[in-house]
Amino acid sequence: MTIFNKIITLSKQIASSLLEDKGFSVLEKSELFDKVNKEYIIKNLTDESLIKRRLRLINQVNKKKDWKKVKSKIDVPVRSIYWKYAVAALLLIGGVITLFINQPGDIQRFNDPVIVNNKILPGEGKAVLTLETGEVIVLGKGVDIKTENASSNGKELIYNNDPSEKLTYNFLTVPRGGQFQLTLSDGTKIWLNSESQLKYPVSFNNTQSRQVELVYGEAYFDVSSSTKHNGLNFKVNHNKQEVKVLGTEFNIKAYKDESNIYTTLVEGEVAVSVRGINKVIKPGEQSNFNSILNTIEVSNVDVFREVGWKYGAFSFKHKPLKEIMVVLSRWYDMEVIFENKRYENVTFNGTLYKNQSIEEVLMLIKGSINSYEINNKTLILK
Amino acid sequence: MQANKKYILSLKEYERLFDKLYTSLCLFANKYIGDLDQSKDIVQDVFVKVWEDNVGFQNENNIKSYLYTSVKNKSLDYLKSKRVKTTDNFPITEIAKLETESFFLREVVVLETSNIIENAINTLPNKCAQIIRLSIKDFTNTEIAEELDISINTVKAQKKIAYKRLRPLLKDYFILIAFVFDNTN
Repeated sequence: MTIFNKIITLSKQIASSLLEDKGFSVLEKSELFDKVNKEYIIKNLTDESLIKRRLRLINQVNKKKDWKKVKSKIDVPVRSIYWKYAVAALLLIGGVITLFINQPGDIQRFNDPVIVNNKILPGEGKAVLTLETGEVIVLGKGVDIKTENASSNGKELIYNNDPSEKLTYNFLTVPRGGQFQLTLSDGTKIWLNSESQLKYPVSFNNTQSRQVELVYGEAYFDVSSSTKHNGLNFKVNHNKQEVKVLGTEFNIKAYKDESNIYTTLVEGEVAVSVRGINKVIKPGEQSNFNSILNTIEVSNVDVFREVGWKYGAFSFKHKPLKEIMVVLSRWYDMEVIFENKRYENVTFNGTLYKNQSIEEVLMLIKGSINSYEINNKTLILK
Repeated sequence: MQANKKYILSLKEYERLFDKLYTSLCLFANKYIGDLDQSKDIVQDVFVKVWEDNVGFQNENNIKSYLYTSVKNKSLDYLKSKRVKTTDNFPITEIAKLETESFFLREVVVLETSNIIENAINTLPNKCAQIIRLSIKDFTNTEIAEELDISINTVKAQKKIAYKRLRPLLKDYFILIAFVFDNTN
């Protein structure tokens, strides 16, 4: 790593440590600076008058105005007109396009994408509630509903806390391009990711362990502690595995089109059982059950990367584009076609915010693809 | 596949780069030359050059390194030429101090760190932000409570909220271009 990279990493570490009230120990241990410079850095980051002076200077910089100055100097209009004509000309000669694009030459920039009737949008809060009577209610933006046992403001569905002896079940189904939050009658909070379904009792009785079923998809559970419920534990079933918990936060990912079930523990302790095998996992660990090989493995993971979706972001590390696109296709409700199969295994690092448009997302990977096409809800990587 | 290929910025990315780094770079140049208006000109020139020369980058750090280094060099050039052209008697020993690597590195650390902190705090609700600002200035919970006239428990609760919100963001530290080539490829 170059010194500069080390410096950038150090800056990030100092920033997070300061924000989390953990002081300057990272800087103090660093070998990149001597004592005098360390003190200089600390003073500049914590001294009120120095911080104020910096903010005053920042306020004297007019980014918008200065960007206009720079833009006027780099003659963008000329360049963009040139590209428009070039693309128009290429469209006229049709069949030659592919050949031309594949020719390395003086074209260094990414080819303008073809976008026809783009219907790919970021997901939003939406879900379908199926009541014990079989009645179906569509939940989403602007839909305020109140049933006998629950109410929703369009983003979240909350059950009333009244125990009953008889267990009746509701289903909450989140489609592709959706997400939804749910509070069960025992106070347990559940976040459902796109293309997921959960079956749960309308209310729990106070004698049996609390049980819900993740039918498919991904869900984050913040389970209300068993100490508040006569010591009754909480179980999340799935047709292939069962997770037993006492009050904790964890994430289960069990998509229909994937052969692995991932259970990631954020806080507390859970026991995952699959076909008679029990595995206890600790915070920061993830169990991975492979239903084809019939194996279960526990490993350490970067928890916040795994559950970033709950916080409005998708975070990837060394992930092949193919896997990234599986995640994105659920959120943007789109079909992705790799016209060039070589892209499938290009790996990326980074974070995407869930409110970004698909075109913004694609801008970020355009360095490794030649172009793309959007047609209705289909994305083709060329 | 293209891990080590140099990456040319599109106009949109270039604009985003400007948006993210322009202010910090102006402050950085100002540390060398002590003249904010002149600093702005220097940074703008550096940006224009990046576009016109089609400078390629491998990753985000690579971009930053290029920009900070260019701004430093231009600032030092400016100081030296000013010394020759005018009667300004800026001591040559001062320039030598500015030319050291440790001066460069420590200013980068200060600006990068404060930039991340500012951006992070700006995502927080008002009360949370106030509390975190004080805690960075090394105020204890008791002092924060007194300063803002709230209870210690409120301070603690607000801090918890702040950490919970910041943690996922800090994981990737407000990456400039959210996706960079994976160099291990």
